Amino acid sequence: MINQQTPLLSTEKLTKTFGQNIILNQIDAQIYQGQVICLIGPSGAGKSTFLRCLNLLDKPTSGSVFFKEQDLTTLSDKQLDDLRQKMGMVFQQFNLFPNMTVLDNLTLAPLKVKQLSEPQMIAKAQSLLHQVGLSAKKEAFPANLSGGQQQRVAIARALMMDPQVLLFDEPTSALDPEMVGEVLKVMQDLAQKGMTMIVVTHEMGFARNVADQIWFMAKGKIQEMTPPEQFFQQPQTVRAQEFLTKILAS
Amino acid sequence: MNKQKYWLPVLGIFVALIGCITINTPIKAADTIHENYVQKIKAKKELVMGTSPDFPPYEFVKNIHGKSTVVGLDVEVGQEIASDLGVKLVVERMDFDSLLVALETGKVDMVISGMNNTPQRAKSVSFSKNYYQSGQDLLIRQADIHRYHNYRSLSNRTIGAQTGSIQYSLVKQQAKKAKLKGMDKDNDLILALQTHKIDALAVDTATAKAFIQNTNGLIRIPSGFKTSSAGSAVAFPKGANSLVQVANQSITKIRKNDLINKVYLPKVSKYMTNHKSKKDRQKANSMWAYKDFFLAGIGYTLMISALSVCLGLLLGIFLSLMRLSKNSWAKKIAGAYIEFVRGTPLMVQLLFIYFGLGIVVNIPALLSGIIAVSLNSAAYVAEVIRSGINSINVGQKEAARSLGMSRQLTMRYVIFPQAIQNIWPALGNEFISLIKESSIVSVIGVKDLIYQSRLVQADTYRGVMPLVITMILYFIITFSLSRSMKYFERKMGHSND
Ligand SMILES: Nc1ncnc2c1ncn2[C@@H]1O[C@H](COP(=O)(O)OP(=O)(O)OP(=O)(O)O)[C@@H](O)[C@H]1O
Ligand SMILES: [Mg+2]
Repeated sequence: MINQQTPLLSTEKLTKTFGQNIILNQIDAQIYQGQVICLIGPSGAGKSTFLRCLNLLDKPTSGSVFFKEQDLTTLSDKQLDDLRQKMGMVFQQFNLFPNMTVLDNLTLAPLKVKQLSEPQMIAKAQSLLHQVGLSAKKEAFPANLSGGQQQRVAIARALMMDPQVLLFDEPTSALDPEMVGEVLKVMQDLAQKGMTMIVVTHEMGFARNVADQIWFMAKGKIQEMTPPEQFFQQPQTVRAQEFLTKILAS
Repeated sequence: MNKQKYWLPVLGIFVALIGCITINTPIKAADTIHENYVQKIKAKKELVMGTSPDFPPYEFVKNIHGKSTVVGLDVEVGQEIASDLGVKLVVERMDFDSLLVALETGKVDMVISGMNNTPQRAKSVSFSKNYYQSGQDLLIRQADIHRYHNYRSLSNRTIGAQTGSIQYSLVKQQAKKAKLKGMDKDNDLILALQTHKIDALAVDTATAKAFIQNTNGLIRIPSGFKTSSAGSAVAFPKGANSLVQVANQSITKIRKNDLINKVYLPKVSKYMTNHKSKKDRQKANSMWAYKDFFLAGIGYTLMISALSVCLGLLLGIFLSLMRLSKNSWAKKIAGAYIEFVRGTPLMVQLLFIYFGLGIVVNIPALLSGIIAVSLNSAAYVAEVIRSGINSINVGQKEAARSLGMSRQLTMRYVIFPQAIQNIWPALGNEFISLIKESSIVSVIGVKDLIYQSRLVQADTYRGVMPLVITMILYFIITFSLSRSMKYFERKMGHSND
């Protein structure tokens, strides 16, 4: 199933600086079809920046980002808009559109961007809401949903565009502890269905159980790319060891 | 950092403005060598007279067959000149202060408005000889009849005069011990006199006579001013000598036959005294008789406001998008425009569009008013919208863009609706102040509510009642607007609570 020839998504010497600060330093990375990558590392390491460079929400300072064979850094705005449809993104703060119902949140982009038929999109939205366990909430406004429900709506919204890869930026960090499980469950289901995912997370249990690879990021570099068993048992770098003792202690 | 960059385009606009004005002056001067004013007027078959009709008996407005008409000595004089030229007389109304600008910028061919020939004015216009010479009086309250005898007995008292009038300078220069209060309208001054805001009002004899005929409780005393007795003259554009000549011939005829005292004054005073009994006068002066004036005023005010709100909103949206765009030129131009418009008074912008641009294209007063108010409002609306757009969490934009929505789609369907919802109350305030500020268009003679209330004041010699009615009408308009804004706010807001 895993295609070792061409990665679905990859970076070459990806560099991002903010003023004098080098946040991403010449990163080379490959994600293959169907892989689940968990990206972990200390706060400020550049995890969010890396994710945002993958779909060009942030423009890399230098280096390239490839989707299959296509170098995203060379594309026009229009081409980028088209490509972003293939890369869904889920945010820590959910970022649902507060002035729209759940159903409208889901159907807005497909209707306006792809100009697909409305009844079809409503049917699709309903089936995705069913998949994340929120069939009953389609007419609700985001403000009337719990954090966990909002995040599940956000995942369904990303799925509406039939993305080939999903980028998660700490999807459970803003949630009350009792709601973390329901969101992780939805993500685990997606992983099982073969969705390619890159997940920035502090949920070590999820990383250990679901990830194909752990990427440990610090100081602008991905320091380790290893399967979870190896990472949690014998982290190679001192930084990763320190990080793990800190996070497991808390 | 951005602030400094705005300076450049702002400076550019300034330079362009100054350029417009200075370039224009020599052209005007060059005209005087071979001027053909008379031919031009004969060719268009009409002579446009500018006047400020709040100055009985010289010029004032009369409700004739339901139509507000300018009548008075000056109109008769203007009529005489027009007939001598064989053309039709057209009367344009405007504020006294705007008259000379209108003349210089060609909005009117001549000004007859009880205007005195002063050396100051003679610098910018050409005067005919005087068609009428009047003494200077003071109006006082009847109760003060034994207290005041002329300006000397008014030390430490307040004397009122129309701003910019000859009486204003007389009081200023000669009645040094008295306090001077200037106002734009004689009607306001009369009101001030009646309500003890001032103790005397300096006016010329003909005006004084007109007012005491129509206002109870006022009397006329000699002013005691030493005057070089500058009489009233007709003003023409500087260097329009052929017109001055024609006018002088007409005036010679008027003076030789004493037309003013024998024909014009009796005719005009008929308009002023045609309500014989007090009861009749009250009936004619009841505000109901002037409902058409107020209705017309409401019509104009609503039209100007509605059009300016729409145009201002559209242009404001456009400007705010320019200011938020990636294009640095669009950004700078919009920024400069907003800074400039917000940094200059609406009154000046209005006068600039009507008179200043009038040199290049002749924009009618109503259109000038709508343009000025819209352009002004756009700058404020743009800032409100920009702040609304900036208030939307950046996560909204990122979410939309990550779904493949373009910048435009994101703005249109995600950011903008939320921004409008956030700024709705601020927009409502903006529209309400627009309605109120639109009253400034009356300065250039647009017949809005304020203008009409002035007419009614002048016509009925009642100061307060038209103001009260105008106030109530404005309040009804702004109150209904703020209510309907609230209604829509509630309709939109259901999602956020
Ligand atoms: N727009 C920006 N301008 C300047 N500096 C930025 C910007 N965005 C991020 N940074 C900086 O880049 C560094 C990495 O930020 P990033 O958000 O990618 O870290 P992170 O690994 O996601 O951390 P966290 O776990 O706290 O989310 C931080 O020091 C941050 O201050
Ligand atoms: Mg982050």
